[in-house]
Amino acid sequence: MIHAAASIALLIVSGAMVAVFPRSILAFLVFQGSLVAIYVARIPAWLRALLLGTALLVMMPVIGAWNGYYLEVATQVGIFVALALGLNIVVGLAGLLDLGYVAFFAVGAYTWAIVGSPHGNIVFGGGFPLSPWAFYLFLVVGLLVAAGTGILLGLPVLRLRGDYLAIVTLGFGEVIRVLANNLDKPINLTNGPKGITPIGRPPVPPFMSYSEGFYFLVLLIVIVVILVNRRLEDSHIGRAWEAMREDELAAQAMGVPLVRSKLLAFACGASFAGVMGVVFSAKQLFINPESFTFLESIGVLAMVILGGMGSIPGAVVGATVVTVLNLQVLKGFSLWLNELKNADVTVLGYNLANLPTQLEPAKYERMVFGIILVVMMIVRPQGLFPARRRQRELGQ
Amino acid sequence: MDLELLVGIFPQVLLDGILLGFMYALIALGYTMVYGVLEFINFAHSEIFIVGAFVGVEILLGLKSAGVLDSVPWVLVLLLILVAGMLASGVLAVSVERIAYRPLRHAPRLIPLISAIGVSFFLQDAIRLFESIWRNAFNLVYPTLDVLNHRYDLTATVDVPLKSLVVIVAALLMLWGLWALVNRTKIGTAIRAVAEDQAAASLMGINVNRIISLTFLIGGAMGGAAGVLFGVQYGLINPYTGFIPGLKAFTAAVLGGIGNIPGAMVGGLVLGLLEAFAASYLSLLTGGAFGAEYKDIFAFSALILILIFRPKGLLGEVVRERA
Amino acid sequence: MTGLFEAAGVSKRFGGLTALHGVDYRLDAGIASIIGPNGAGKTTLFNIFTGVYPADEGRVTFRGQPVLGLRPDQITALGVCRTFQNIRLFANMTAIENVLVGMHARVRVGLWDALARTSRFHASEQGSWRGGLDLLERVGLRPKANEIARNLPYGDQRRLELARALGSQPALLLLDEPTAGMTQAEATSLMALLRRLVADLGLAILLIEHNMRVVMEVSDRVTVLDHGEKIAEGVPREVQTNPRVIEAYLGRRAAAPGGGRAGA
Repeated sequence: MIHAAASIALLIVSGAMVAVFPRSILAFLVFQGSLVAIYVARIPAWLRALLLGTALLVMMPVIGAWNGYYLEVATQVGIFVALALGLNIVVGLAGLLDLGYVAFFAVGAYTWAIVGSPHGNIVFGGGFPLSPWAFYLFLVVGLLVAAGTGILLGLPVLRLRGDYLAIVTLGFGEVIRVLANNLDKPINLTNGPKGITPIGRPPVPPFMSYSEGFYFLVLLIVIVVILVNRRLEDSHIGRAWEAMREDELAAQAMGVPLVRSKLLAFACGASFAGVMGVVFSAKQLFINPESFTFLESIGVLAMVILGGMGSIPGAVVGATVVTVLNLQVLKGFSLWLNELKNADVTVLGYNLANLPTQLEPAKYERMVFGIILVVMMIVRPQGLFPARRRQRELGQ
Repeated sequence: MDLELLVGIFPQVLLDGILLGFMYALIALGYTMVYGVLEFINFAHSEIFIVGAFVGVEILLGLKSAGVLDSVPWVLVLLLILVAGMLASGVLAVSVERIAYRPLRHAPRLIPLISAIGVSFFLQDAIRLFESIWRNAFNLVYPTLDVLNHRYDLTATVDVPLKSLVVIVAALLMLWGLWALVNRTKIGTAIRAVAEDQAAASLMGINVNRIISLTFLIGGAMGGAAGVLFGVQYGLINPYTGFIPGLKAFTAAVLGGIGNIPGAMVGGLVLGLLEAFAASYLSLLTGGAFGAEYKDIFAFSALILILIFRPKGLLGEVVRERA
Repeated sequence: MTGLFEAAGVSKRFGGLTALHGVDYRLDAGIASIIGPNGAGKTTLFNIFTGVYPADEGRVTFRGQPVLGLRPDQITALGVCRTFQNIRLFANMTAIENVLVGMHARVRVGLWDALARTSRFHASEQGSWRGGLDLLERVGLRPKANEIARNLPYGDQRRLELARALGSQPALLLLDEPTAGMTQAEATSLMALLRRLVADLGLAILLIEHNMRVVMEVSDRVTVLDHGEKIAEGVPREVQTNPRVIEAYLGRRAAAPGGGRAGA
């Protein structure tokens, strides 16, 4: 009862905070935190659904109307949530460490970028860009192409031992990036480092802005992805994956076909990334190989590890926290530091204006990811929101 | 196609390949030593390697700003930065093991690997942070030691700078020294015993933790030396420079047979030559359709293919698979 | 006439060591045991029967169908399932989930059914859960269905492994030292359970066992391996008094007239 009252109050207060201080990063962080709090609070399921639904379907777009940047952050968070959920299947459930996950995201993104922009004319002749409506069809095409890529890669490499598999997937990720960088000749498929632009945007309902349209689209995809994740996890397929993660030899002796199960995990994970790649390229209007580096793969891995391997709420929270950390906290800190510098503030006799100009806190994503990975492995390998079963065990 | 050109550049390309190969071999030693003992990929080794390069450049820049760089004999300068780089990287490698790997030694295999990836990323930005504060720049250029750039003519068309000879000689010395240490000394016997069976080695009175630290120290020091030589040879470094050579050196280690010291050299050379030839000839042979950038694809494809078809490497894995 | 399970001339070498040398074996029904000193090749034989290693030579058939060269999961799907000498449960999964994984080979619904939650899927899941709980009931673990395998006491883990193997509805069950680490009372009750399984489900059981009291009580037939070769085979009483067996276990001197009984 207290939980229920506190949850409602928290949502109202944090919403009001954002309304009163639309420019305050802190207020928006509190709002985001309140969603997590509601998620973990001990309240009836219907109340949780109601509160989260209100927050995501009503409050968030309203906040976005005030400050468009927040809607952008929410959309980015959604994209990374879907990526983290996809990687969670591969790493968390099936126990296969994939260090080149962003390659599948790239495959999806380039699939739409090529046909959704005038660049398609260079590749295939005439007739491009395709009609904006084709975007919705290409969500499926991106899914299939990425899943197919996953199977093509997985087929030869999934027999490898875990640590070698990790390195091979890393190598594969790099190969995809180098290809994207260099396939501007002999056929100009990717336009090389210059990237592809302008990429077509899907039509949205007339009463919505583009950013609202993307926000709801991403939200819808995330919901579907969560549903798919849960259904897979709670089936013979998910159990086979987990058994494989626990003990490969025993799983095989119990009748689990290893290669086929691993391929399925790889393809499922890849397909989520493929769909989001299509959305990402349309949202950004422009893509180039820089968006698909090893750093991105590790970023998604850090999200899964932070939340808890094999845990759906963990992947959601992990993706949210890490994205917010990168987009808001690091950048906010950078801005704040610059303001202090410009204002000639002195701390303990040190004039901040003398700080080195190269010191830009916003650029330290790797340090954030690195600290998350090391600290979580040593202190809490099961993550912040461990998979359901382990938690139940702790509760007993 | 110009056959004369193809033949003409051959010796130079061969030389570049050998040079690159020895560089990879030196870095590969760190991966191979640690893998041989712990069956663990020390993913942070690429940063341990580049830290050596940064220590070298800092000392050189220090000497230069003190105005003494040109008055000290170049051999002494080179020795100084090599020793300093080895020391720094060795100590760093040991500390990383203590902090980020040792607590996870008995965890499932992927757990310490994830931790190692974290350390790798952390170190990249830690170097950047340090250099940004210290120097307000993190892309650094090695000051030139003029003597080292002196070029010796091998043939009418091929010449080799002294610094490349230094790299090759130093690499050969270190490879031989390490091989002798592991195979000819009591410490080497202890290392091999720990690699074979930690429990049994500890029953024989070997301090397993100390041997593991020692392995990291040696592997790290070799990486540090490679870092200094890398800086001397190629000049430009930044905190992220180590990553790709590190990945390729790991490829070299796997190629030669991980855990195997001569294997690291063979693997390094094969990979170095493959890359040098791909970089020079691919564009010529395909009429510019595929550029030198595809050398990375060759390297990573080599890694993928070797792991699929011959995971024990060309010379064989030295460590036996533990049950 | 082909039997349920037949092996002929099975050999296996590891480097210079011959682990198995031309072993013939046949099992049609009931409970049979393989015994032998440590290193005799018993577990190696199991690993070959279940596809973990390839054999260097020989032929193994199950219901007349050759199984050498098949993957372990394919052999399980045919109807041969096993347990492990050092228990290999899925440690972080619950007891019932372990058994459900054991039923994987019998699940007839696919990815689409799981995603769309078709009625076929619901029926299959319900059937699996019911079957899984029945199996737990059979081995006496029904009340612990939701406990994490890792937290179960040792004896329960052994029985859970048995239930998990039964999940694949095998016609032949291979048990690698099922009573290792159990008290005599636990071992006796486990053997009673095995007898009931044979009677109720009509399956055949092949045991590797060190506990001679258990072996002699429960087995219809006993095979003795030593240094990778079959040195004796027969009903327990025959094997017990076979001089070669006594020699293998206790050394040459003990095999002289008046020497001790086989086993320890």
